[in-house]
Amino acid sequence: MSNWEILWQARDEFLIGFWRTLEIFGLSIAGAFLIGCGLLYLLEGSRKRLTMPLRIFIDAMRMLPFLILVYLLYYGLPSVGIRLDAWWTGVGALAVYHGTYFAEIFRSNRLTFPPGQIEAAKAHGFTKSKMFFRLILPQVIMQTRPLLGNQLIYALKDTAFLVIITVRELTAVANSLSSTYFIPTEAFIVVIGFYWALSVAMEIIIKQCGRFSAKRGFDNV
Amino acid sequence: MSEANTSETAAVSIRHLSKSFDDVEVLRDVELEVKTGEVVTIIGSSGSGKSTLLRCINWLEKPDRGSIHIAGQRIGVHDDGRAMPVRELAKVRAKTGMVFQGFNLWPHLNVLHNVTEAPIHVQGKSKREAEALAKALLDKVGMSHKHDSYPNTLSGGQKQRVAIARALAMQPTVMLFDEPTSALDPELVGEVLAVIKDLSAEGYTMVMVTHEMAFARAVSDQVVFLEKGLIIERADPETFFTTPKTDRVRKFLENHDTPSPA
Amino acid sequence: MNASAWQMLLEGAWTTVWISAVSIAIGVLAGLVIALIRLARIPIVDQLLVLYISVARATPLVTLALFIFLSAPDLGLDFNRSVAGILALTLNTTAFNAEIWRSAFRNFSREQREAAMATGMTPWITFRRIMLPQMVITSLPGLINEMSFLIKGSPAIAVIGIVDLTRVTNRISAVTYEPLPPILVAGALYMMVIGCLIWLQRIFERRANRLAM
Repeated sequence: MSNWEILWQARDEFLIGFWRTLEIFGLSIAGAFLIGCGLLYLLEGSRKRLTMPLRIFIDAMRMLPFLILVYLLYYGLPSVGIRLDAWWTGVGALAVYHGTYFAEIFRSNRLTFPPGQIEAAKAHGFTKSKMFFRLILPQVIMQTRPLLGNQLIYALKDTAFLVIITVRELTAVANSLSSTYFIPTEAFIVVIGFYWALSVAMEIIIKQCGRFSAKRGFDNV
Repeated sequence: MSEANTSETAAVSIRHLSKSFDDVEVLRDVELEVKTGEVVTIIGSSGSGKSTLLRCINWLEKPDRGSIHIAGQRIGVHDDGRAMPVRELAKVRAKTGMVFQGFNLWPHLNVLHNVTEAPIHVQGKSKREAEALAKALLDKVGMSHKHDSYPNTLSGGQKQRVAIARALAMQPTVMLFDEPTSALDPELVGEVLAVIKDLSAEGYTMVMVTHEMAFARAVSDQVVFLEKGLIIERADPETFFTTPKTDRVRKFLENHDTPSPA
Repeated sequence: MNASAWQMLLEGAWTTVWISAVSIAIGVLAGLVIALIRLARIPIVDQLLVLYISVARATPLVTLALFIFLSAPDLGLDFNRSVAGILALTLNTTAFNAEIWRSAFRNFSREQREAAMATGMTPWITFRRIMLPQMVITSLPGLINEMSFLIKGSPAIAVIGIVDLTRVTNRISAVTYEPLPPILVAGALYMMVIGCLIWLQRIFERRANRLAM
């Protein structure tokens, strides 16, 4: 039996790993997106005392390796009495980590807004939150689309770190198959192919979204 | 053999030069001879092919047909039609100095090093020799107080004067000026023209594309009018500006400020 | 944390620093070489390089490190862990650096190149004396940014058993039963290194902007 045939028989395991990775990725980027928007809202808000600590938190996250955050949550939190399982640790760490990156992308785009727009909205009697959700957020998201797309690909790649805290995702599957059947080369080629296909698919989707926002005059690429 | 003879004596000799971009003929069978010490001005409306003609002389544009000799040496291709190897081409190019509309100084080098870069790395001059020459040339163009400045701190007129010194530093057979004052603010045009005028008085061989009619009249030995890639008139400046032969040139001069002799 | 814990931590930090430094040095140069080869647009070679860059950018470092370390014997190669780790980091960062160099090439001003040729410089001298010095200045902010990414990704090599600054926190807590302090110290050390890189990046961004004026 050739190595590739062995792999074919183990296809279910690959698919499970692929599905798990997708699940972790999907949940965590949804979380990251919400965290990013939330941080932007808080930075936007009137509570000036919050601005400084938030900026420090965002910058700190961006200077930290993702795996250190994972260690902090997985090995560090139990010593203060909070215990999460590996899977939720992974999803949570990804969401928080990439949420701060999203927030930074949003924030630097927000700085480029012409002040006149906001003043016009105020003059029309928009409330703060209405202005944020109807005016600021949609524009920020449309304009930062290419950067968000890049960040999604980084987030996808970071899911593989979770193999280190024993999450059974795609890379973990390749790892265990290669040690069970001694076919590391083939197993990893398949898995790398999966990651690659996902990234290419995301790039294509982001480009397609570009057409939509170009129609609305938002594209600055 | 007569052709070879004229090529030897002339600083630039252009024969049967033609060039097209896609389907548009920009140069049609152009013939031009620039003697040593002569100043030739090329005039024409935009799109007439004058910049292309100038850029063919140092092979920044490749003509489709015809030949160009610089001080008797052919540029770009050998007589048997073989393309010139890049090193050889570079050597012939070094006989020409070019001044561009947009200055094109190298922003990572200060003024002095912009001027010494080619003498050191193309001609193999020693640093000391190159710097002595560069200082003399920067003095000539009135930029001796700016040796250590970087290009982004200079005005357009200052940049162009440094660019002129940079081209002179290679001690070229002929200087090529491609609309040297077109990108300048009006109040800075004069300082650059004054430098070029000095050079002409010193006997430099120059070919110049310009829109400054009064200036062309004052410094040129020969004026050439290009229209749709064809030389339709050539004369000494007096004749050209006072009694043009063709209606086209007469119209052109009417639309520009008719220059009085400087 | 006692003295031996601190010493272990510093050893881990040293491992991270030297493996990252070697990978960065090779990756910056290899990226330049690939960018140059891609300029020549050699058929097949060019497509292969495009494929390499696309796959390398999409592959997680953990996966790449495991792949290299586990399948090297299959291919008749015998790497020790450090070499496999360096290879993984280098393969990854080279792909990003190649794109940074290439865009510096493509955005290089045609006018400046013409000015160089007009003074009689050969293409090689033009590249060495006029283009490369400026491309280094314009690419440095991007290259330094990529260096931060490499260091943030370097804990991936723990997966093949290299005891780097992240992995060493596990070793320490296995002895002290206090996981939090070493992780926090390691985090602080990473922040110091990456903070320095971000600061450098800002300085070079300013220099690059001055050049673009």
